[in-house]
Amino acid sequence: MAQWQEVQALPNARLEEIHQLYSMAALPMAVRQCLAAWIENQNWRQAAEPCSSRALMLFHSLLALLGEHLGSPGLGDEDFMLKHNLRKARRDLQEKFQKCPENFANLVANLLQEEQRILRLEQARGQGEAAPAPSTPRQSDRQQQIQRRLAEFNTALQEAERAFRHLEDLQDSFDFCYKVYYQPGQARTSDPQYAQQIQSLQAKLQILDRQRQEVLAQMQQLLGRSETLLGFLQQELEAWRQRQQRSCLGAPTDTCLRPLETWFTELGQGLFQLLQLLRALGDLCQKVTYERDPLKEKTPHLEQRLRELLTYLLQSAFVVEEQPCMPNPCKRPLVLRTTSKFSARARLLVHLHDRNHHMEVKIHIDRDPPKIKGFRRFNILTSSSKTLLAGDNPRDGLVCDFQYLTLKEQKDSRSGKGSKGASEGPLVVTEELHLITFTLAYAYCGLELELETSTLPFIIISNNNQLSSAWASILWFNMFSCDPKQEQSFFSAPPPAPWPQLAEVLSWQFESVAERGLSQNHLLMLAKKLFGSKPSPKSTVSWHKFSKDSASGFSFWAWLDGILGLLQEHLKQLWKDGLILGFVSRKQTEKLLKGKRTGTFLLRFSETVMGGITCSWVEHSESGPPAFPAVAPYTAAELAPLALPDIIRDYHVLVEENIPENPLQFLYPDTPRDEAFGPYYSQRQDGNLTEQKYLKQRLIRVSSRQPNESWQTEEELEAATENLETLQLQPGELGTQQPGGLGMVQVTSGNEGMPQVVATSSGMLQPGGLGMLQAGDLRTLQPGSQDLEPPQPPQVGLGVSKVLQPGTGEQPVLRVVPNTQEMMQVGPGGLGTPEVLTSGLGMLQLGDSGMLQPALVTMEPLAVPQEQGTLQLESLPQGQEVLPSLEPHLGILETLEAVELMPNMDREQEGLCPSLASSDAFLDAQDPFLPQPEDVALSPVSSLFTTDFPPLHIDASDFH
Amino acid sequence: MGQRSGHQERSKKLEMTQSETMKTKAVVQNNEEASEELNSKKQRLTSVFGVADLKNGAIGLYNVGLSCCLNSVLQVFLMNIYFTRILRRITVPPCAARKRNVLYQMLLLLEKMQCGKQKAVSPVDLAACLSAYRVKLFVTHDAAQLFLTLWNLMKMQMEKPELEHLACQKCSLETKRNSSMLILPLPILYSKSHMLKTLEDCLQHFFHPEELADHNMCFCEQCGKRTPFLQSMKLVHLPHTLTIHLKRFCFETSAYIHKLNNNLPFPQDLDFNVILTENQCQADNNEKADWQYELFAVVAHSGSTSFGHYCAYIRSLTEFKWYCFNDSHVCQVSWDDVKTTYGHSSLHLGETAYLLIYMKKHLE
Repeated sequence: MAQWQEVQALPNARLEEIHQLYSMAALPMAVRQCLAAWIENQNWRQAAEPCSSRALMLFHSLLALLGEHLGSPGLGDEDFMLKHNLRKARRDLQEKFQKCPENFANLVANLLQEEQRILRLEQARGQGEAAPAPSTPRQSDRQQQIQRRLAEFNTALQEAERAFRHLEDLQDSFDFCYKVYYQPGQARTSDPQYAQQIQSLQAKLQILDRQRQEVLAQMQQLLGRSETLLGFLQQELEAWRQRQQRSCLGAPTDTCLRPLETWFTELGQGLFQLLQLLRALGDLCQKVTYERDPLKEKTPHLEQRLRELLTYLLQSAFVVEEQPCMPNPCKRPLVLRTTSKFSARARLLVHLHDRNHHMEVKIHIDRDPPKIKGFRRFNILTSSSKTLLAGDNPRDGLVCDFQYLTLKEQKDSRSGKGSKGASEGPLVVTEELHLITFTLAYAYCGLELELETSTLPFIIISNNNQLSSAWASILWFNMFSCDPKQEQSFFSAPPPAPWPQLAEVLSWQFESVAERGLSQNHLLMLAKKLFGSKPSPKSTVSWHKFSKDSASGFSFWAWLDGILGLLQEHLKQLWKDGLILGFVSRKQTEKLLKGKRTGTFLLRFSETVMGGITCSWVEHSESGPPAFPAVAPYTAAELAPLALPDIIRDYHVLVEENIPENPLQFLYPDTPRDEAFGPYYSQRQDGNLTEQKYLKQRLIRVSSRQPNESWQTEEELEAATENLETLQLQPGELGTQQPGGLGMVQVTSGNEGMPQVVATSSGMLQPGGLGMLQAGDLRTLQPGSQDLEPPQPPQVGLGVSKVLQPGTGEQPVLRVVPNTQEMMQVGPGGLGTPEVLTSGLGMLQLGDSGMLQPALVTMEPLAVPQEQGTLQLESLPQGQEVLPSLEPHLGILETLEAVELMPNMDREQEGLCPSLASSDAFLDAQDPFLPQPEDVALSPVSSLFTTDFPPLHIDASDFH
Repeated sequence: MGQRSGHQERSKKLEMTQSETMKTKAVVQNNEEASEELNSKKQRLTSVFGVADLKNGAIGLYNVGLSCCLNSVLQVFLMNIYFTRILRRITVPPCAARKRNVLYQMLLLLEKMQCGKQKAVSPVDLAACLSAYRVKLFVTHDAAQLFLTLWNLMKMQMEKPELEHLACQKCSLETKRNSSMLILPLPILYSKSHMLKTLEDCLQHFFHPEELADHNMCFCEQCGKRTPFLQSMKLVHLPHTLTIHLKRFCFETSAYIHKLNNNLPFPQDLDFNVILTENQCQADNNEKADWQYELFAVVAHSGSTSFGHYCAYIRSLTEFKWYCFNDSHVCQVSWDDVKTTYGHSSLHLGETAYLLIYMKKHLE
């Protein structure tokens, strides 16, 4: 906006100052108003110089313009007074300044300056008021500063250029006069005219000298201001560097270089322009010089200072835009593997280059290797030089992109190197820091420089299993953001990390993997794990404790990285949406769950199993303290075939006689399970549900083993299978079955020719869920076959529960451990499966359409050690229809190689608890689904989901 | 610059203070007068001259032959309203002496600057006057030395006595001597190579007792021989305007002097009560209470020892804004620009603070 317009927009208090200003001035405000634009466009200050012809010219132009204005027809009658005032002003001005137009020029210049001052005051006040209100971040303040200063710098530069052109004019005029009038050798005193001429020549020289001084002063000022500006740019670049470093660690930051590039380029351009100007000044000095010529004295110094400034600017403008990184899924840069390709990119932020000059970038690895014993040396296999390219698009900037670099270790690098190295011996591979240095031969406008920049230190590994610990080193190093050049031996004595800083970095890890960082509570739990108590802001963690101390089998970092891996592969979405409470200690879990309803559960990471996640839930009993059972942690291996939400949905605890129930009802604090996890359940095929009519029963074949036997071989199992009889169980008294009540399941044989087993079980159903089985709760199975041993009371005990829950010995969660190997047909509720915990029945729900919603069977990895038999659940139609319905399933089983459950429910049976099916089941043992003995032997916590074992599949074909 | 200025002699405090005392004893009385005037007649001054005349707007001074140093120092004086108030009260000397009277010439220059409504004026008359006192034109001066010379010429100096405390370590005889300094010459090097980090560190180091041993031993009257002494300085009084000279020069070898460009931050507010310990000062609480200073001006030097340029950053006492004076070119700046003169290790020719002028906070 033009100055006069801005002045008019001032608030009244300031306008008063303006009125005062003009009340005393010889220039009437009317004239100022009338010729506002023209007045502002003239250089009055320059015209005010003594002996300047410009003042007179400007003065006459002003009078002429005023005259023109008066004569123009645009002024209507209402402006009669204005016209009159202008006429009067014109006369007055002419009278007053005819003789001394310089004074007039000075007057106008001062008025304009004063106006500017008042405007500035107002601006400052406005800023002072506006500043405290919105708490703008400091950074954006600095960015505004930079932009403002750049604009000021450019204005000042233009001013300096104008002053320079003025100087040129003055010099030319002096030069001309000098050549014309100055004739040494003549008698000077004799000729008064000559003396006068010499005098005027002397005066001209004075003016020339003053202008030279003036230009130099301006240059000094410009250099001073650009120093400050460069300081700001440096800070901004430093901030970017830190952002980059943090983003390498996974922090969500913006690492865009565009604004910096613009600023650096702009300042660079300005400074190069200044350099040209200084050279031109030198040329002027060549043409005309005199004793004590300020140009002669100062120009070289100014140029020297400017070159230094430019060098500094360019040096810092050469940056590594992309740190070395090999493609990996975890977004972890700075860890390179020999023989695998990686890339790195350097950029020159000052986007100025000479097209004729070929700019080559070279890279070196470990140019100045640290004196560490056994420090490995590497060669870059691919070409180590590249031309710095300005893309066709000017927005691309000056970039040098090194792609497909590979490293190879020098053969003798382990021996003979670093004989004077540190005494503490060689660093392990994952603590050895390497650097790549980029060098660029830059030349522009006569300035030739060798620019250099280095990457952040990186780690070279030779095997993927070093990745995790290498990454720990990278985290540790960058947390301290020290100077990479001097710190290649950082890990000779790594400093301890302050907890707040470490906490932040750890949080980034989760954020980068699954878009959600660690909450305060998470961090508190981690801190307690590390320090044993609440952390203070001054707590520090040593490198050893973080990455090496493996008293519990693995180090803190290994544990955490295991969880990260698990999240990355399987639980991203759940973590992101905050469904996993995650870092909760067992104690805290109990505290949290204690006051909640039975069936409230939470998901937490195991502290004993690397990369494991577990569910803990609460069960309140009518008498005694609540129990907090937890399932043995799922690891990536278990989650690979079946996703966690599906496990949760179909998770069932099977206790003898009881109807299997899903104990997981409410996600902590009190979100109904299906509401919380519904969106994550996998789609199932319930296509031909309606065509199925076999709802009455379901057959489940079960294979088990003798308790005192070790694992049977495959053959034995097959033999056993042959011996097994199919039991058909019929549900009895279903109508009375309620959660919380006594469930009586009557098992009857429904098939002729089959051993009939009537299993009368009295299952205690805990209020709201399944889970706690009293030791006295017997499940009696009547063996129907002579081959089967008589059923034994289930083994229930603390020892079992300890195995079940590796974390809490105290939780007496009792599980039924039948020792029989049998095949039964069971009622819908207490499936008399020998395998209790590891199998759950699918939750059966009544769909809105009146159909049964099939549910997945969750096979828990919590197998009881004594109970290594695996359950194969298959839902089969009841009675005579067993065979026809079996066949298709067998087919499915074969193809799917899966244990299938076909829950069967007769929805017409009234009084049935909606979640319980009145179907019978066949437990069927089929070879392909039997666990391999080796699997079980490997781990006491056997599971249906060990790698060799296929997941459960639901076949809903038996449903209506 | 540094080479020809006398200040390398002052690297030993003892010598310096002695010579300083000699020079300045005569003017102490004058000084007391001046400060009294300042305090008691301030109000009258305002009424006499009016606000407008006391405005001290930022006006440039033309360079009249390598006079950037003079210009910078002059600006520091002329922008100081407390100084100019006193200056305006001087009795006009008789015609014959006017040309040689520095104060009168300064007053003339001030009037020219404030009333001329020019962007810049030429201090040529004052320069001519000064050259009569061997302050030559076309010679690059050392700002610190020029500052001292000007003070002495004006016979108007602010009191800054220090109690020099010499304690003989052998016989515990203590010798005390009053001495005053115009400028606090602060070394920014600690034991030859170690850089001090901040201005506060420098001050602390400056007032740290120094042991005079070996060839620095002093003669003890009681012992009758040269004994090792512990020399320490105690602060008695601080002037209204405190000038700190950062000795940014390093004499590595006798022949070569180089400038130290390292970063040395200085605060905008300086409180001597925080910096000095109890036994480093010898003053009553009243005196101590107003040892609170605010930065008023910075004379900065750019370039090397062999050449360079001076400019002054001055905070206007009427507008409370920073200005940068580069000879005739004056522009408004911000504290960030002043901070640039902290120094930068990679810019050897950049602007670095050389003289720091602090002013008492509660002058009114």
